Amino acid sequence: MIQDLRAWPLREPVSGRRYTVIRLTTDSGTRGYGECGTASAADRAEARRLVVGQSATAFEPVRQRLTRLPQLQAAVNIALLDISGQLARAPLYQVLGGPTRHKARVMTALAGDSDDALVASLRRARQAGYLAFLVPLPPRRTEDRGQAGASTRDTLASPRFSSQAFVLAVKRRLEALRAAGGDETDLVLDGAGRLTPGDAASLSQALERFHLLWFDEPCPLSNLAAVRKLAAENVTPLGFGREIHEAGLFQDLLREDAIDVLRPSLALNGVTQIRKMAAIAETYYVAVAPFHDGGPIGTAAALHLAASLPNFFIQQVPLPEAEEDRRMRAELCSNWAETARDGCAELPAGPGLGISVSEAALEKYQERAR
Amino acid sequence: MRRREFLGSAAVGQALSLSAPLAAMPVGQAFSLSQTRAPLGADAFRSVGSKVRITGLKVFGVSLTPESDRPYVFVKLETDAGVIGWGEATLEGKAGAVMACVEDFREFLIGADPMLVEHHWQSMYVHSFYRAGPVMGSAISGIDQALWDIRGKLLGMPVYKLLGGPMEPRGVRGYYHARAGTPEQLRKLRETADSLGVTCFKSGIPGYYEWIEGHAKIRRAIRGLEILRTHLGPDIDIGVDFHAKTSPTVASLIIKEVEPLNLLFIEEPCPPENVKAMARIARRSTTPIATGERLIASYGCRELIEMGVADILQPDTAHVGGITALWKVGAMAEASGISMAPHACEGPIAGIATLHVDAAMPNFLVQEVCSGVQPEMKEKVWEEWLGFPAMRMVQGRFPLPEKPGLGFELSEDALKKYPFGGTRPMARVFHPDGSVAEW
Repeated sequence: MIQDLRAWPLREPVSGRRYTVIRLTTDSGTRGYGECGTASAADRAEARRLVVGQSATAFEPVRQRLTRLPQLQAAVNIALLDISGQLARAPLYQVLGGPTRHKARVMTALAGDSDDALVASLRRARQAGYLAFLVPLPPRRTEDRGQAGASTRDTLASPRFSSQAFVLAVKRRLEALRAAGGDETDLVLDGAGRLTPGDAASLSQALERFHLLWFDEPCPLSNLAAVRKLAAENVTPLGFGREIHEAGLFQDLLREDAIDVLRPSLALNGVTQIRKMAAIAETYYVAVAPFHDGGPIGTAAALHLAASLPNFFIQQVPLPEAEEDRRMRAELCSNWAETARDGCAELPAGPGLGISVSEAALEKYQERAR
Repeated sequence: MRRREFLGSAAVGQALSLSAPLAAMPVGQAFSLSQTRAPLGADAFRSVGSKVRITGLKVFGVSLTPESDRPYVFVKLETDAGVIGWGEATLEGKAGAVMACVEDFREFLIGADPMLVEHHWQSMYVHSFYRAGPVMGSAISGIDQALWDIRGKLLGMPVYKLLGGPMEPRGVRGYYHARAGTPEQLRKLRETADSLGVTCFKSGIPGYYEWIEGHAKIRRAIRGLEILRTHLGPDIDIGVDFHAKTSPTVASLIIKEVEPLNLLFIEEPCPPENVKAMARIARRSTTPIATGERLIASYGCRELIEMGVADILQPDTAHVGGITALWKVGAMAEASGISMAPHACEGPIAGIATLHVDAAMPNFLVQEVCSGVQPEMKEKVWEEWLGFPAMRMVQGRFPLPEKPGLGFELSEDALKKYPFGGTRPMARVFHPDGSVAEW
């Protein structure tokens, strides 16, 4: 039985990346850890009320109780699976029916404001063992089109791009990265949901023969008809779903032939929910490439998830550049290191998540209420 | 006296009274009625069927090598008229299951009139309740072919004539597998093709694919096809088999980019369970799509035809439900402007059975045989069994048999040299991370 839920909101000192780690304690003293994105104090309290007293092994009814709190549902799910694995004295991927693979392909987002900075970022990430990268778009100045949803990064100071200049700038950026990394370097273009379907279509068409792994979040999902058209008019693969926490929305995209890779966020779904999304996608021959930009506990859970899926393709993980951030992450998980080799991460060994979480580090890095 | 009456009535039976070969049939091997109880439902046809009865069903597992993943599963039906029928139920990787499934149909067949092929097909399919997957589809196929063989022999006609053929007296156009990849190999293949009159080849794409793939592997696949076209030249038809190892996502990327090569078809660009997924590929390219070797019965092909997914259908007469089902799929396809290029990767009986249907289909395009331009060990065995070079082309065409039925003789003794080596799985391949790959 779940006796307690405790949460630590964390913030990395340099990157400012925020995530919440939770701990579930059972009446027999077993502790399971989970992670999600930022969750408000009110939501954390509500989640605590909903799970305390519930079974510590029947994670499915607990998941249902938390559907209105997707972040905490995700964290609680991971923590309950951690407990199940510990009780079974087995790595989580075994509890989930795996492993389906002995290592998991990983990718990471490149950072930088210019092509040169991104090339440098790619070289550093290659040094760290990564072979697949998420590439940000150059800014697309949109203020004179009155486009809603433009990011604050598209400032008035950005260079002005015509639609063709924009397409050419993207191609130039991607070609520079491929030239730097070689033909075996795999690239995902990150649209971040910022483009109009029309701009996304121009890019998607222009990049057909570039063979991106996929074009991620090319436009907002709010207009399904536009997304369907985008997916139908050329063959550049499309990824969607960082914000999705309902399997039915993925099912809609699959039904509409509008998606080539599912990008559910670990921090918004947890493991079980993504396994269900993957099961749906499998019947469409569509792969899953979960999004994760949180902490190391989430990364460990993601690798167990990867080793349980038949249609897993790649896991996005953060690659902290700053030494202070790296130290914080290493302190959080003392017996397991976030590393990549030849583009893949090893699966954590040991029961449950296979990591030992340091509560001293959780206290140390806890973000105090301001 | 009873026995004499039975034989007499067989010779003048309504359905067959004018059949010269039957009248001349040796009667010495006939069984007595008491040995064969008529199967359920047979009484209804007493006055309209033939008097010939199926008296024996035998299943042979035949392994050309002990390691073969596709021991031939041959079905032999014997009749009290002395006529025997051969069919082939080979199912790669599942020999034991198919042999057992053929046996499961014994009660449907022993004592039955072999002429009622459609009735028996319906009964085997419908009365099996769950409908047919590949195991049952293959079992029905073997039995169906044997029934057609008997029927053709009793009626004194090759099967293709019973189906209204031939469309083309010179035989059935076919293709060999290219089995060449380098420019030099391909140029040599082209020379051989010219000397043999072969007009079409099939090739594939290298390696195994995940459902998302990167630039290097996609480019390699495209480059391989460009080399194929460059060195085989514009006058050879080229089919390319993706063997369902690509997802719709990856297949679409490759297929659209090779449009300028004007391939005859891309085969199985994704696995067969999701017709709509394959439709997504077809909609985004002009390259013709071929598929169907894993589909069972005309029912299994209906959705593909209805949704306008395939340009070419490739059912396999050893799996789809024999001659009966292959012909029906062909008729459905014809009405939708879809061509037929049947799959054949098993033994010689299924191959020959397919030729009969090919010869009678107005929408027939080309026939596969899983062999290269040079005959292999298996084809030497086939010739040793049948007395002619089965499934070898002459001037780019498979000659049509002239004898009644499927048009060959085969003795059980000939098969004994190649005893059943047991069921062996088909190729099992894995990605570098150990996960299951499709080949």
